Amino acid sequence: MQTPVFLDHLPDVNTVTGEKPARYRLARNKALLELMLDRDTTWTVRRNCPACGGDCAKSKNFSQTLLEFQRCSDCNTIYAQRVPSQQTLDRLRLDIISRKETGDTGNTREFEYISLMNWISLTEARLQRPLDKVVDIRFASHATAWPESTRRLSHNRSWDFLPLSLENAGFDNIGERLRNIAPRAVLMPTELDRVADPEALVRTIKHSVPAGTVIFIASSCADGLEYEILGADSPSFIPLDRLTVFSIKGFEALCAKVRLSVLEISTPGRLDAVILDRYFKTTENSNIPFWSGFFREADQNRLHDLQILLQRSLRSGVLRFVLET
Amino acid sequence: MTLRVAIVGYGKMGRIRHEAMERHGGFEVVVACDTSQDPDANFAMVTDPLAVYDFNPDIIVCSVPNMMIPDVVCTALERGKHVFSEKPPGRSSDDVRRMIAAERAAQDRVLKFGFNHRVHDAIEEAKKLIDAGTMGELYFMRGVYGKAGGPDYAQSWRNDPAQSGGGILIDQGIHMLDLFQMFAGRFEDVQSYVQRNFWTDVPVEDNAFALMKNADGIVASVHSSATQWQHTFRLELYLRNGFVSVDGILSASGSYGTEVLTVALNRLDTTGNPIPNPESQELRFTEDKSWDKEVAEFYDAVVKEEPLRCGTSQQALDVMELVERIYSADPEWHRILQDQTPLPDQAI
Ligand SMILES: [Zn+2]
Repeated sequence: MQTPVFLDHLPDVNTVTGEKPARYRLARNKALLELMLDRDTTWTVRRNCPACGGDCAKSKNFSQTLLEFQRCSDCNTIYAQRVPSQQTLDRLRLDIISRKETGDTGNTREFEYISLMNWISLTEARLQRPLDKVVDIRFASHATAWPESTRRLSHNRSWDFLPLSLENAGFDNIGERLRNIAPRAVLMPTELDRVADPEALVRTIKHSVPAGTVIFIASSCADGLEYEILGADSPSFIPLDRLTVFSIKGFEALCAKVRLSVLEISTPGRLDAVILDRYFKTTENSNIPFWSGFFREADQNRLHDLQILLQRSLRSGVLRFVLET
Repeated sequence: MTLRVAIVGYGKMGRIRHEAMERHGGFEVVVACDTSQDPDANFAMVTDPLAVYDFNPDIIVCSVPNMMIPDVVCTALERGKHVFSEKPPGRSSDDVRRMIAAERAAQDRVLKFGFNHRVHDAIEEAKKLIDAGTMGELYFMRGVYGKAGGPDYAQSWRNDPAQSGGGILIDQGIHMLDLFQMFAGRFEDVQSYVQRNFWTDVPVEDNAFALMKNADGIVASVHSSATQWQHTFRLELYLRNGFVSVDGILSASGSYGTEVLTVALNRLDTTGNPIPNPESQELRFTEDKSWDKEVAEFYDAVVKEEPLRCGTSQQALDVMELVERIYSADPEWHRILQDQTPLPDQAI
């Protein structure tokens, strides 16, 4: 099992705290509030940690936008205490995509796309196994320029894009499409933290692809310094997009339960340092031992060093797993 | 199947090989030969290298100084034994040719040399990345391998050319040259500077710089140094679509750090040109499995008759010829070598 570190320049914090992401956050939180006020909404209450199965009675709870969250005391995973149905979640996501308020900051995402493509290419080389048929699960729905980027830059690989759609709500359709395509690899960078039942989704993928299929999964990571310090106050903590924020230990436990072998774990998040920097430099009276002083005095070089240290320690706010069925 | 082993030269390297063979489980050391006897040894110890054959070994592990290697290896092959020998493979390419002749005469006996850098995890990963073709065509390589010569530098047999055949290049730099040839094949065209900077009274080089080109036009530069002070291993490979580097190499002393493999694929702008400073992936390796992999490959070659990939006599010959090309490409150093007393067996 390998733990690569993805080194790159520090991003602009405005990709999270800028006006466009702020509008997106507002729209998503408004949708959540409407859902909570709607008496017809059905909610599934979670009594156990969706990652490790730990009892929620032992967890610490907090709330964001009136939605209650737990932080599992066994595995550190953060999860919403109750979740709407998958159909409802898909409908809300499609709604915001149709209004073009995806928080997508345009062509700056090309580097993100290249990072995903290179992740697959270099893993393929190290595994010495062709991953020439890839299925993308729902990422293209969020990132409209992504399919075009794969056509232009991802040679020697065929791509199928399984979109988010109302007719295809739930995971049955994902399973059916995967069985038909029989891919060598599956890429799913945006689903784990947004779906009602991540275990069901992971199981669906595992049981719908041939043995030896490589699965590339990315998600937010509860071990990240961003979430450890700011928790629900982090600008990236949008409840509907963070229904389950797995910790490394938590997602490893889920993989073991579903019998997926873990080939690689990393936390390639690049935003912890700049998000915390913005927070501490703009919040008066914050007095967290060590960190308040650290960030008030930190320059770009210190932030860059910190972000690399976080990655090397598997402590940044995004996780990536490479799994094998 | 358990192979009976005789270790000729039971010093630091002999013991490292012994431990690796114990971890493997397919070997039993029945005798070791050394000038000093190990009172804790639970096997026979002898002082005469020929006495090891009284114990009917299947294989000979040869961990003696360079000048003794050809005799030990050739005797073992002539007596029908498989041989695992340390590098460098003697003191000169003539030494290797002599061993190759003995290997051919012995027909199906295995002869493997311990060029263990090829099987370090970071190097193997780099090889996989390049072999996959994703990185594209190899353009050039840079290698730096250096150390602080050490407190017994002037007294060490390693720095007596009659015993070792050369200085830092043949002792340590040879690994980098072997890696260059593993990645890019033989280098024939060589320019060099070979120097004595700090240990000016010692008749071997403490620094060697070489710039070389192979038949495909791939260029490689090496700097092998005993005055590096900070122990350093760095190998960089630049390809059409990106680069791979290995920083640090796991060693018995641990002083060259952990192995860090860095790999990057270029990001292209809209005109198809690479944007500077691509995202890179860093992989860290902390466990030296090279000794175990070498022993396992040797075992499989002997018992299962699998072909050797690393440490073949041809690779040994190629790298010794390259060492000699580097020594002779610097005219000044070439003259110094010629003025020195010739090696004893060459004087006959
Ligand atoms: Zn848990």
